[in-house]
Amino acid sequence: MATEAQGAAVGRLARFPVRRAVQWVLGIGILVGAAYAAYRTLSLGLFSAAAWRDLVVFGVAQGAIYALIALGYTMVYGILRMINFAHGEVFMWGAFVSYFVARTLQNSGFMQSSPYVAIVILLVAAIAGSIGVAVLLERVAYRPLRNAPRLVPLITAIGASLFLQNTARGFFGPQTRGYPVPDVLGGTWTILGVPILRTQAIVIVVALVVMIALTLFVSRTKTGKSIRAVAEDKDIASLMGIDVDRVVVTTFVIGGMLAGVAAVLFVMVFQVVGPFMGFVLGIKAFTAAVLGGIGSIAGAALGGLILGLLESVAPSLFLTGLHIPGPNQLKDVIAFAILVLVLIFRPGGLLGTGEAEKV
Amino acid sequence: MRKPRWFAVVTLLGALSLVAAGCASDEGGGGGGGGGGEVDCNTVEFGCVTYASGEPIRVGTLLAISGDVATLGDDSLNGVKLAVDYLDGKFDATPGQLVGHDVQIDSQDDLCAKEGGQSGGTKLASDPTIAWVIGTSCSSSAFGVADKILGDKGIVLISPSNTAAGLTDPATHNPFYLRTAQNDAIQAKVVADFVFTELGFKTAATIHDESPYAAGLTSGFKTFFEQLGGTVSVEEAIQSTDPDFKPLLTSIAQTKPELIYAPDFNPACALMAKQMLDIAGLKGVKFMGSDGCAASTFFDQAGSAADGTYMSFPLPSPGGSESGLVGDYNKAYKDQFGAPTAAFNTNAFDAFNIMAEAVKKVAIEGDDGSLTIPRAALKDAVFQTKDYQGLTGTLTCISTGDCQSQAAVNIGVFLLPDLPIEGGNPDAKPIFSEQLTLTEALGT
Amino acid sequence: MVVYLALVGMVETFNGINLVGGAITLGRLLLVLPPFLIGYILVRPRVKAGITVTPSPFAAVLGGAAAGLAAGVLTGICILIANALPEQLSARNVFVAVTPSLLSIMTFGRPIGIGVALLVAISAVAGGLGGGLGVAAWRVRRPVVLGLTVALLMAMLQDVFRVALAQLGLATEWLYSPTFGGLTYLGAVVAFAVPAAASAYWLSEGRTVRERLQTIPKEGQKPVRVMMIAAMAILLIALPYLLGSFLSAVLGRVGLFILMGLGLNIVVGYAGLLDLGYVAFFAVGAYTTGLLTAAANSGSSIHIGMGFFEALPIVIVVAAFTGLLIGAPVLRLRGDYLAIVTLGFGEIARVLLTSDWLSPALGGAQGLIAIPAPSFLGIDLRDPQPFYYLALGFCVVAAFVSYRLANSRVGRAWVAMREDEQIAEAMGISTVRYKLLAFATGAAVGGMSGALFAVQIGSLAPTSFNILVSIQALAIIILGGMGSIPGVIVGGLFLVGIPGFLTEFEQFQLLIYGAVLIAIMLYRPEGLIPNVRRTRELHEEEILQDAWGEGVPDARPSTISFEETPR
Repeated sequence: MATEAQGAAVGRLARFPVRRAVQWVLGIGILVGAAYAAYRTLSLGLFSAAAWRDLVVFGVAQGAIYALIALGYTMVYGILRMINFAHGEVFMWGAFVSYFVARTLQNSGFMQSSPYVAIVILLVAAIAGSIGVAVLLERVAYRPLRNAPRLVPLITAIGASLFLQNTARGFFGPQTRGYPVPDVLGGTWTILGVPILRTQAIVIVVALVVMIALTLFVSRTKTGKSIRAVAEDKDIASLMGIDVDRVVVTTFVIGGMLAGVAAVLFVMVFQVVGPFMGFVLGIKAFTAAVLGGIGSIAGAALGGLILGLLESVAPSLFLTGLHIPGPNQLKDVIAFAILVLVLIFRPGGLLGTGEAEKV
Repeated sequence: MRKPRWFAVVTLLGALSLVAAGCASDEGGGGGGGGGGEVDCNTVEFGCVTYASGEPIRVGTLLAISGDVATLGDDSLNGVKLAVDYLDGKFDATPGQLVGHDVQIDSQDDLCAKEGGQSGGTKLASDPTIAWVIGTSCSSSAFGVADKILGDKGIVLISPSNTAAGLTDPATHNPFYLRTAQNDAIQAKVVADFVFTELGFKTAATIHDESPYAAGLTSGFKTFFEQLGGTVSVEEAIQSTDPDFKPLLTSIAQTKPELIYAPDFNPACALMAKQMLDIAGLKGVKFMGSDGCAASTFFDQAGSAADGTYMSFPLPSPGGSESGLVGDYNKAYKDQFGAPTAAFNTNAFDAFNIMAEAVKKVAIEGDDGSLTIPRAALKDAVFQTKDYQGLTGTLTCISTGDCQSQAAVNIGVFLLPDLPIEGGNPDAKPIFSEQLTLTEALGT
Repeated sequence: MVVYLALVGMVETFNGINLVGGAITLGRLLLVLPPFLIGYILVRPRVKAGITVTPSPFAAVLGGAAAGLAAGVLTGICILIANALPEQLSARNVFVAVTPSLLSIMTFGRPIGIGVALLVAISAVAGGLGGGLGVAAWRVRRPVVLGLTVALLMAMLQDVFRVALAQLGLATEWLYSPTFGGLTYLGAVVAFAVPAAASAYWLSEGRTVRERLQTIPKEGQKPVRVMMIAAMAILLIALPYLLGSFLSAVLGRVGLFILMGLGLNIVVGYAGLLDLGYVAFFAVGAYTTGLLTAAANSGSSIHIGMGFFEALPIVIVVAAFTGLLIGAPVLRLRGDYLAIVTLGFGEIARVLLTSDWLSPALGGAQGLIAIPAPSFLGIDLRDPQPFYYLALGFCVVAAFVSYRLANSRVGRAWVAMREDEQIAEAMGISTVRYKLLAFATGAAVGGMSGALFAVQIGSLAPTSFNILVSIQALAIIILGGMGSIPGVIVGGLFLVGIPGFLTEFEQFQLLIYGAVLIAIMLYRPEGLIPNVRRTRELHEEEILQDAWGEGVPDARPSTISFEETPR
């Protein structure tokens, strides 16, 4: 026979927040584990300070590219609440369009004679290509599905991604090609005593500028305001007289622009193009966007940065100390594991609301 | 209730049919001819393949003819085509005949991956008119896949470019598999010798791309290099789709190697060579790849970073065949196909030819002009190839499938841009070369 | 459109496939098909302000012809330009498929001026025909379309039918020409006429037949149904013998993917959890099987050497456990987040399998080899035919389990969760428990599929377990219909079977997948064989609009059929 006290005790036990307890234990355990691994690595003394510094710079540069692409994802998600899986392909097509222009410029010698003009031309070409594909996507694949349940446009996006990749493969051939870049981009600059590759410095600077410009655009201009309005609530925005279709197209255009810029930055650093380059990058950038909190510009930037740093520094920092062979092979594992962990604790991403999003 | 009845019916039928399958007769693997001649095709193991008068002999090829590695597969396929051309003794762009029959090539794609080995291999294996298969291009599509699928049907698989050691390891070798390409154990030894004795380096780092080919080479290199007294500072791996290797290279730089050996495929190989130049810690460190890397795409993708890198590359044996043939072959290749895009077209040529010799030995010609080739006998005959003078050297096949076994395989090391393929220098000479037999390399 | 197909390389590759009589190849058909389709679509009845508008036959043919003409002219102009460009500016520099041989195919081998004119003319005719067909009475249209489709299928699947008929001992010379591998003219006519006639007959007399069937009392209907099912079962079982070993091997692969589709169907179709990392379960099943059954030289340091059927229960349990493991962290995530995290898990699985770190146990990049073939009553189950039966058996079991789950309390809980999670919770359904159950069951089926994969070849390479496998499984259930078991089967047959049978398609497989996914989502998101409840969910907007009754411009007439009684 249960007494009052016993009943109360059971009641308290039942209310014991098992989930939170597990979360805390897990979180602390992982932090301790990571700190331990880092300690082991650092005590091994394998890496000089300069090496760590380089790793950080590489991470930031790569993260900048991820951030730019992630911005495209996040903006589309903000207003349409859908993941544009094909954004990686938007990026890839921009790169390819600029590739053909670059090749002509190279063959005619223009690339070397006036490199800065050449770069501008390539930027324009890449942006045009990306915007073209983005707008096409929106009109053909996404607009008819505006009101469909979530699953449908997601799958359409996957289909579009496959389609665009393989069309590029069919058109241009599956092989990866070397991308000609002006020689002036080689070499390093020394900034604050840190030698940085010119290309990487340019990438970081351009990415920053673009992100700041975008934030200003969204917060100050009228179009920006209408974008935010539509992101808040599509139907009410249209009641307020905002042309939702226009806004959506504009958002895709902006996303395309960002992807185009990212494309040029990418080819400047890596100097290769291939039909499948967008796929993996797209997934990573999307991961970055989710990590930072999808729907938020700062979130995409932060997520990109963190992901870049993780990929670059984490394998060396955590895994070499534990004597795991081939640590860099596992960098994707680390990245995704971090994603899972973040989402366990903050289901909306780092800068998200902290609450699971209502469907 | 309807459901259980339906289910019961199906299960019953299923069980019955499994029993029936046990009693069912075999799918005919061969043409089942068996008319005059010393071999009864209906009883001999694996049967025979028969061609009526006027029918062409069908030879399958399972090569990497699409994607980034098409340079490898197309190149081998061209070698096969030249071999068919040369059946009449002349390189005249008109195919010759083998034992009075035309030769028809059924070309399948091995996708340089297990899937291709499986699908292409299954397709060829189920075609009873295929006499033998030349392939695969990449070791990953052969190992445990195509060699088994074809071997189970008694179809000989002979590869012009599989170099992974495991394919001819006694523990894992398939009895119907051979290759005219060198065993990578040899290439690994030559590379180790080059790095240690010629360059004088004592520490090296290795990077493989998770393919059996690359992993085999790096582990072989490690064994031989350490035997000589060198140290492998770190063994790393990459995924071939990654574009960014700078963090990896930085981490390798910390272990202070004098050379990085990365026998991977392109574009990863090219990108690594290029990105190495950007890492301060790797100044002065040399980069070395192997034949998987030494394709025309390397020049395109690495750009100016290609200069100064080393590549190991198989060479035709100097004491090999009638030197005239090599010259004629090279000219014919250039005329018909342009510059070679990979190193193994000569191996493909030789592969076809030793099979053709074996066919001539065991084929039974019927009075009506038909041709019967018993499969098991064909396999035995080609394994008995001894001292055959091919383009790539003297070929003698041993029971574990290496035909470049007794022959000294000549591996050369080139300093780029001097590489005798498209994009490089057609008259390039190696800066180092060694001729080793398999036994010499393994030190047994 | 034609230009697109040409550029992508389809025209050239498919020209190798002879369809009919040596004159009509698939490549040529692709040249003609788009104008035909344009003509057809253009004249379909449209809803304008609530009134259905159908053009008159004359206008339709003319309109179709005009559209076809326009398309042909566009293509012709492109051909002319491509031909006229000098070497340096050649389109080939950009589009690798624009070879001289392509141009000659597109101009039917005639000199360029005549060829282009010919193309334009044929396009116009095709367009006109399309237009005419579009407005023909449905009594005429359906048989014609059916006949054409059957003829096309028979021509494309020539290998399948030819081998099958040969196995049955029937002469095929009159149907399929032995020399150039396509339907003969006579064969094509027959292939068209027979189904067309059958369809026409059914349309006119079918109603009476159906009515008569319905008047048979219930007890009488049962044996008929049982007979039909038995007939289907017999066909399924006899199939490998009809098809020969290569095609049976293809079917075995189809079976494997259908099994995967059934598993994913539980997770995505029933429970509504979008899992993009399904390949992880597949890999777990495959590797567990490999590790448990492999011989000593497999490449791994673990060898236990169990038999296949002994290992199977363990594999299923391990896979289900993995499902729980993956499901637990993602319980609170919705939709898109769930998708990306599961995708991440799939990738984690792949990287771990390939890694050097775990390679002593898992074989690393080389994978595992020397996995023995399972044997049952002395039959080596790796041979294509027995393997097919094994796969078939597994599929039947999985289908049965799915079916029972769907129609049980669990299934209903899943539906509730799918509709609105919070309300479901409020109604006392423990979403945690049911989500985990979904993951575990789906994973178990995926594991079974992986086990089959491991023994199919006898070796495993980690490169086989990439994200494309997950996407393929997803495509199968989407195409077939989410939550519908027959749908999964049909989806698998289409998406894995057809590329398997027609190896020329392999190059374009992913391209077609992408296009198919987009098309399905745009026009028929419930899939080919839909699950009625899902259909209602997916067409919610349209149903609401129809219910209001206003003639909304551009609204598509509702495409839901309510013939199937919901269960």
